[in-house]
Amino acid sequence: MNEFVETLLEMQWHEPKSSYDVVIIGGGGHGLATAYYLATRHGITNVAVIEANYIGSGNSGRNTTIIRANYGIPESVRFYQHSLELYAGLEDETGCWIMHATKGLLWMAHTETGMRAERARALINTACGAETHVVGPQEIKQICPQIDLTGNGRYPVLGASYHVGAATARHDRVVWAYAQGAMQRGVTVLQHTKVTGLLRDGERVVGVQTDRGPISAGIVMSAVGGNVTKIAEHAEVRLPVRTHALQAFVTNAYGLDFPGIISDSELSCYVSQTPRGQMLIGAEFEPQPSYSMQSTFNSLASCAKKITNCLPFLRDLRVLRQWTGICDVSADFSPIMGFTGVDGFVISTGWGTWGFKGIPAGGEQMAELIATGKTPDLIAPFALDRFANDHSMADLGSAGTR
Amino acid sequence: MSDTTGAASPGRIVVDGRPIPYQAGDSVAVAVMRCGEHPKHGGTICLGGDCPNCSAIVDGVPYVRTCQTAATPGLVVRRHPAAGNPSFPAVAQPDITRSPVADHVDVRRETADIVVIGAGPSGAAAADAARAEGHEVMVLDARDSNEVVAIYGGPTVIVRRPNGMLHVHAHQVVVATGAAEIHPVCPGNNLRGIITARAAEQLHDAGVDLGNAVAIGTPPQGVPCTAVAGRIVRFEGTDTISAVVTMGDDGLEVTTPCITVIVGLGFAPRDMLSRMSGGLPVSVVGQAAEKFPLPPCPTAGTVCPCSRVEVEDLEGVWARGFHELELVKRASLCGTGTCQGGVCGPHLRSFVADRSGEVPEMFTARPASRQITLAEASADTYTDVFRRSPLHDEHLALGGQLDRFGGWWRPWNYGDHIAEYWAVREAVSLGDVSTLGKLVVSGPDAVELLERLYPTTVADIRPGRSRYVLLLNERGHLIDDGMICRETETRFVLTFTSGGAANAEMWVRDWAETWGLRVHVLDRTMSLAAINVTGPLASQLLQRVGLVDPPKFLQHRHDIVAGVPCHVMRLSFTGEASFELHHAVDRSVELWRALMEAGQDLGIKPHGLQALFGLRLEKGHVIVGMDSELDSTPRRLDMDWAVKMDKPDFLGKSALVRTAELPDHRRLFGFTMQGNAPTEGSPIWSDGNVVGHVASSFSSPLLGHAVMLGWLKHTPVPEQVQIDGRTASVAHPPFYDPEGRRARA
Amino acid sequence: MPALETLHGLRVVASPAVLDTALWPDNATVLRLAPDDVFAIGATAEQAAHATAADPDAIIADESGFVGCWLDAGQLETVATHIEWHLPTQRPALAQGYVAGVPAKLWLDTDRALLLCASPYAADLIERLK
Repeated sequence: MNEFVETLLEMQWHEPKSSYDVVIIGGGGHGLATAYYLATRHGITNVAVIEANYIGSGNSGRNTTIIRANYGIPESVRFYQHSLELYAGLEDETGCWIMHATKGLLWMAHTETGMRAERARALINTACGAETHVVGPQEIKQICPQIDLTGNGRYPVLGASYHVGAATARHDRVVWAYAQGAMQRGVTVLQHTKVTGLLRDGERVVGVQTDRGPISAGIVMSAVGGNVTKIAEHAEVRLPVRTHALQAFVTNAYGLDFPGIISDSELSCYVSQTPRGQMLIGAEFEPQPSYSMQSTFNSLASCAKKITNCLPFLRDLRVLRQWTGICDVSADFSPIMGFTGVDGFVISTGWGTWGFKGIPAGGEQMAELIATGKTPDLIAPFALDRFANDHSMADLGSAGTR
Repeated sequence: MSDTTGAASPGRIVVDGRPIPYQAGDSVAVAVMRCGEHPKHGGTICLGGDCPNCSAIVDGVPYVRTCQTAATPGLVVRRHPAAGNPSFPAVAQPDITRSPVADHVDVRRETADIVVIGAGPSGAAAADAARAEGHEVMVLDARDSNEVVAIYGGPTVIVRRPNGMLHVHAHQVVVATGAAEIHPVCPGNNLRGIITARAAEQLHDAGVDLGNAVAIGTPPQGVPCTAVAGRIVRFEGTDTISAVVTMGDDGLEVTTPCITVIVGLGFAPRDMLSRMSGGLPVSVVGQAAEKFPLPPCPTAGTVCPCSRVEVEDLEGVWARGFHELELVKRASLCGTGTCQGGVCGPHLRSFVADRSGEVPEMFTARPASRQITLAEASADTYTDVFRRSPLHDEHLALGGQLDRFGGWWRPWNYGDHIAEYWAVREAVSLGDVSTLGKLVVSGPDAVELLERLYPTTVADIRPGRSRYVLLLNERGHLIDDGMICRETETRFVLTFTSGGAANAEMWVRDWAETWGLRVHVLDRTMSLAAINVTGPLASQLLQRVGLVDPPKFLQHRHDIVAGVPCHVMRLSFTGEASFELHHAVDRSVELWRALMEAGQDLGIKPHGLQALFGLRLEKGHVIVGMDSELDSTPRRLDMDWAVKMDKPDFLGKSALVRTAELPDHRRLFGFTMQGNAPTEGSPIWSDGNVVGHVASSFSSPLLGHAVMLGWLKHTPVPEQVQIDGRTASVAHPPFYDPEGRRARA
Repeated sequence: MPALETLHGLRVVASPAVLDTALWPDNATVLRLAPDDVFAIGATAEQAAHATAADPDAIIADESGFVGCWLDAGQLETVATHIEWHLPTQRPALAQGYVAGVPAKLWLDTDRALLLCASPYAADLIERLK
């Protein structure tokens, strides 16, 4: 048996019940992590996670697996740095091999404007606990010898910020680590169950209606991705969220010779090598809102064109598979976590293209919120009412590639 | 296997450094097998393009299916390593970053009413039927070197050919790709010497001797071999097959010595293209649409040759609770390699059906069905266009260091930004501001439109006068700033920042249309160049070149400067008297040179953005997008003076009315500090906490200390903060000439 | 590829109805960039004012912001290999879109075509069509 299979822990599926203390809609990373932390940190195990497809079938299984904390505003840096640290300890804590590897991330700049952004990023990151330096072209070449510093003569590399703690982990295995840990402690995970409505008692949300019948709940949390606004609508909660498609692709597998993670705002793409040796390449989300998961040739062509400017060796690599996810993008490009103003209904949404890196901290903090009824300090800035209060968490420094 | 034809070879290919002759019509795989070699290192050969077992490194590109690659003289083939992945493509020395393969990939674009993929019987029938109905039909078949990579929206069919890419835009697509042969899954299925029945027919037709061949299942047609009944239990041998063990209905194992086993184990639809085309006008005909019986549930051996997944791996993940096809696939990686489930799919489905009692659908198909390199994918694709001002070459000739800002090449400095700074403060300087957005708005409702668009009053701007304006969105957040110049009662010229120019015309037109206002709009951004003449000697310089009576502060008019018709706007961003000369792009070089020439004895120098950013910072002028954030209201920028809340309405007013009542803890402040300017973006500390960050900073040559704009996001606002380990004072800009005397001089 | 040269003409923005019926001198090449927007190459301001007399708010401005070159059939065919969209088949016709990824326009006359783009894009267009 190969190592990949041998190291998987067993999933313990439980029979569904008609009532739970907590029902979480969405069996992706955030939903399952919340269930896991409810069980492990707060002893709350009478929990169901309801998934319309199979666990990890949404964006948790479609992302480019990058874990980083180098955001542009202190509140975000602190949140993602905490998440990055939880990730680093997740294998020890759960006993599941998530293929976590700290690699470092080079965020390249080709213009003075770009350098200005990277210098700012390095300073604010380091001040908030996420070690990041500014590096020059020669250092970049040492870190990643494959880079063409002339950027194909068009995008010269002036420098980069180097985020030391950036890492990757196998996305599916993160989902399974949380699912396995939660189920082991009694959490029920219901796959292929669609939530069709919310049960109400007056204003209060008291459960979910599913295509397999009603399930009552003390509290309902939405951890839904691209379809979140449709779920929230059942509670008459309007979210400042639009859904956009995001595409990515992988190449065939090659020898493990590509160090680290490369990201580029101007070229809006990012690349890393998976533990299997595939080059995993992603882009920015599509500008027009859409629920379509149809991949486009334009996206593949333009992303391939852009990334090969700086990494010309990629030209001769063959594309294996291209796919699309639909992302819940908030009005200020930061997540929305917490109370909704409707009793019994809390949300974790707006995860756009940065959801994977936020799974551990998002789950841990939402679990604390549910268990204590209070918003933890770390996620207080990400509350939904920030939009009404005109205190958005807009992050210009990260408004390019996330 | 070896060659029996004895025919003259048209050429040789190089395999693992060894020249190998081939016959006319040979694919690389057939040529390799003709020499008795295996193109990989083992595993069933199908020659149908369905499996990964003949893939190799062809002319430097790994993972090329050699059965789909015609042998051509001098083609260089290297086999993948027996274990592990191939390395990244070799790169030519000395620059290891350069790609060795020819850079250019041709793209042809064609159209067809109907594209039929597959020229077999069902494809031919579909094509005939479509033609009979008068449709224009294009037939694409991998055997004719048209490898269909994917079907995208449109539908657009992406095709890889030996001489480049073909993109076909069609109205309808018919998938007639037929069926792929089932590979055996049993112990020993990685050995050499296993071929499918169709592969055997192809090799036989090509004159390749299959030696002592045994056929199991449906035998090939016209190929000499010994048929053996029963099902395959295992293959025996080391590296190469020495025998096949079968079992009949009697339950007894029979060992048959051989060097080639020909397997005819049935078919599976070759339906990847149709499975990836959900929602598109794509139909499937023939075997590709057929439902074939699944092979028996595998019990041992390699299921997925791409990812090297064994049956025990499937059993392992099932035992761990991964109980559906997608989860088994993701947990075992079965089906996630080069052939994307082409080989393992039927076996995997059979396995899951056996364990779960339900036959699962095949997993989702995504591009690419046949693979292309990134170079092939991106052929004839272009990245952003970089724009050049008409003065581009003038800047280069003056030693300008050009950099890209908002898609334009602009001078960052001309070697010494401090000298440029002093030229502005003490003499006269030219700045290229051709990149500014410029709109003409004309019509009976022009005033009404601008009153609604801008938070400033517009009606009281007299012709010949101008006003600085903010541009807000519906949320009351700053999106741009610029000038309004009134030309006549019904005609205005609006300017926008270089970054805002791209959206300006759309913004103005959209709102005019939304409100049903009668105006005409003309975007002049790329038709007019602009030179900013700035400095205490600017008026003197302009008088020298024929502008006898330069306009007063915030006046503008059309006049002739150095023989060039200009729209002259008097304003100030640098803090000194400044005149923007807007003029036709084809006259720009002439005007620039005349000004430089006339100002020589005045100490004229051009200035770049680096100096400009410092000059304006001394004046406390905000740069939208650099100092402002995505949610900056005028209040937060200390620019309430530019908003007339008593106007009946303007874009963003209702939001500002609402948010004015809310507590606010975000403000842009000025800061001063001894010593050099800290890096822009530096955190601002107070009592050991990060309370904000520096948006812009400059070491003021004139003031002798650092000046900054920065955000404080906490209250109460401290009088002093720490930046870059030093103490800085909160101050109110402008830091220079607070009364604005110099700008008006 | 012939060199790209400045195209001198007039930009006329007026109500679509007026532009629909405007009469231009025979020697002018009149490109209808949008329903309310004309680029009249080789026309004079007087001619433009006359053509749009029915719209007192028309904007008439000297236009030298485009560069272009005339292509013969063979040259057009070469340029067309860098165009992803379908060229119109009728003549004359104005087509606007990306040429080699550069925003550009093609005025397709019976036996020749004018390729033009805004002057800031000229350098990239020349480079890409080399």
